[in-house]
Amino acid sequence: MRPHNGFYGPFGGQFVAETLIPALDELEESFNSVRKKKKFIGEMKRYLHDFAGRPTPVYFAKNISEKYGINIYLKREDLLHTGAHKINNAIGQAILTKYMGKKRIIAETGAGQHGVAVATAAAMFGFDCTIYMGSIDAERQMPNVKKMKLLGTEVKLVDTGLKTLKDAVSAALKDWVFNVAHTHYLIGSAVGPHPFPEIVAYFQSVIGRESREYFESLGFLPDFVIACVGGGSNAIGMFHDFITSDVKLIGVEAGGTSLNPGENSATLAVGKKGIFQGTLSYLLQNENFQMEDVHSISAGLDYPGVGPQHAYLRDRGRAEYVHVFDNRALHAFKELTGLEGIIPALESSHALAFVIDNRDRFKGKNVLICLSGRGDKDFGIIEKVNLEDI
Amino acid sequence: MKGIYIVGGYPHIDKFGECFKSVVKCGYDFIEVGIPFNDPVADGPVIASAINETIENGISVHDIIESLIEFRDVPIKKYIMTYSNIVYSYGIEKFSENLKSVIDGIIIADLPNRMRKLFYNEGFKIPIVPFATLETREKDIEIIMNSDSDFIYFVGIRGTTGAKADFTSAELIEKIKLLRKRTDKKIIIGFGVKTADDVKEAMDIGDGFVVGTEAVRRQKDIDEFESYIESLLEKISS
Repeated sequence: MRPHNGFYGPFGGQFVAETLIPALDELEESFNSVRKKKKFIGEMKRYLHDFAGRPTPVYFAKNISEKYGINIYLKREDLLHTGAHKINNAIGQAILTKYMGKKRIIAETGAGQHGVAVATAAAMFGFDCTIYMGSIDAERQMPNVKKMKLLGTEVKLVDTGLKTLKDAVSAALKDWVFNVAHTHYLIGSAVGPHPFPEIVAYFQSVIGRESREYFESLGFLPDFVIACVGGGSNAIGMFHDFITSDVKLIGVEAGGTSLNPGENSATLAVGKKGIFQGTLSYLLQNENFQMEDVHSISAGLDYPGVGPQHAYLRDRGRAEYVHVFDNRALHAFKELTGLEGIIPALESSHALAFVIDNRDRFKGKNVLICLSGRGDKDFGIIEKVNLEDI
Repeated sequence: MKGIYIVGGYPHIDKFGECFKSVVKCGYDFIEVGIPFNDPVADGPVIASAINETIENGISVHDIIESLIEFRDVPIKKYIMTYSNIVYSYGIEKFSENLKSVIDGIIIADLPNRMRKLFYNEGFKIPIVPFATLETREKDIEIIMNSDSDFIYFVGIRGTTGAKADFTSAELIEKIKLLRKRTDKKIIIGFGVKTADDVKEAMDIGDGFVVGTEAVRRQKDIDEFESYIESLLEKISS
């Protein structure tokens, strides 16, 4: 799926300050020139293999499959260095930054997984690095804040707005306008102005490609491919190589505590079209055209927008988007931990929860779920809920 | 062309109206009225907090549009400054229909020159003011000229509203020369104008200026507001 003039159907575009346009052009030109170059691809593959630990396995989760009567396969992005799929994009864009000759990287982070991945890549490649993080997210994902600092990154806490991911993106965009000449904004999700959604999808598409190769070696493709969606980076990476197949694609958003305004991050379920942080897509806004408050138990899904490719796949009818409430994500978290010895991130738990909670629909089917990250970062949240009651 | 930016409806509709009239009284040529959006990525802390306070006070986009319509016949050029989502989500065509006879143009902070056509294709009939920046390249100039706006908005800094510009920097002066060579449109310096000295420098290198942050900082106190915007004009001849 390639954009046309920066748009996927009606979605996408470049809604940013004029000052950033030359930087976006430079980024697009650099990306288009290196994506076909053997040297760049070779370097990227080497780091993904030797440094990040790719390829990741697809694991047939026998115990949970038996319990629910569904063949559940997990794409184990949680096994990667730094604990989530975010490192795929961080390494790719860090190498791209090197090719562009820029010396400084900035990024936003919600759950802190992208922040840690970027801080890691910055340490390895020798970039100066600043990460913006909402102060509420920092509090609920403290281990990741500590990791970023250890890695030599400056973590700037954002105290404006809701103090979560949206506000971190705004702060990073402002920094970029000030420092655009020598700084690359290493965006972590498939959102923002063109060419970011395309670049992030490109670097994350390794998830779906490896998965497809695995199933092809078995001689069949899965019936369903399922991933959680906040901005949508692991999902678009997972879907990428299945878009042209007959496989059913399902993105799972955070239903939060309810679908009432301010209590969820289910952008595609209850959002309207609008323009936000660089892109035209669906977003959660109120009747006064202001961005709505959002909530999710998982900091990585807690975002009022969604990437333009997902908006397009949804409106074209190619992918289905659903939502899962906080307490059902916690239930899936507990199930996978207890049955398989795998502690999933709360983000990824949403994808699994949709399958478990709709077991009749998936009975006897081969279902591939993107386990986008591991859950030890979520202990601060888990400690506050009584899992016995879930 | 001398201009002042104020946040529409801040801190509430009456105070905003007083400031609006004060700008006219002090002899300014144009006023920019900000319509608040709660993700103001182009704004520094002063304007961002005024925007958020306005929204928290329950002032809606409709309220601000209503009061602009009321001021339709006040003799001053009127511009709206806002963000893409406000126009898009209000309805591109509806926004245009309701305001095209009220305002002279619109500045949309997150709508770069190349995206303007998306709005025009959807039936937008109000001139969208083009931007020139310190990053503007030779190849960007055609799209700047190709506009129905009567002026170019020159962003004199890399940064958000409220930062300080250096009007003596070679880079800034070169950019303005480049624009002058290619277009007759008036060049208005926005971002970074704060004092009477800044105003004089901006008028020397450009055709006009707009002051935002320091005006908004005083928007709650009409006396302070008025004496400030008067003082800005002390060093230039009208």
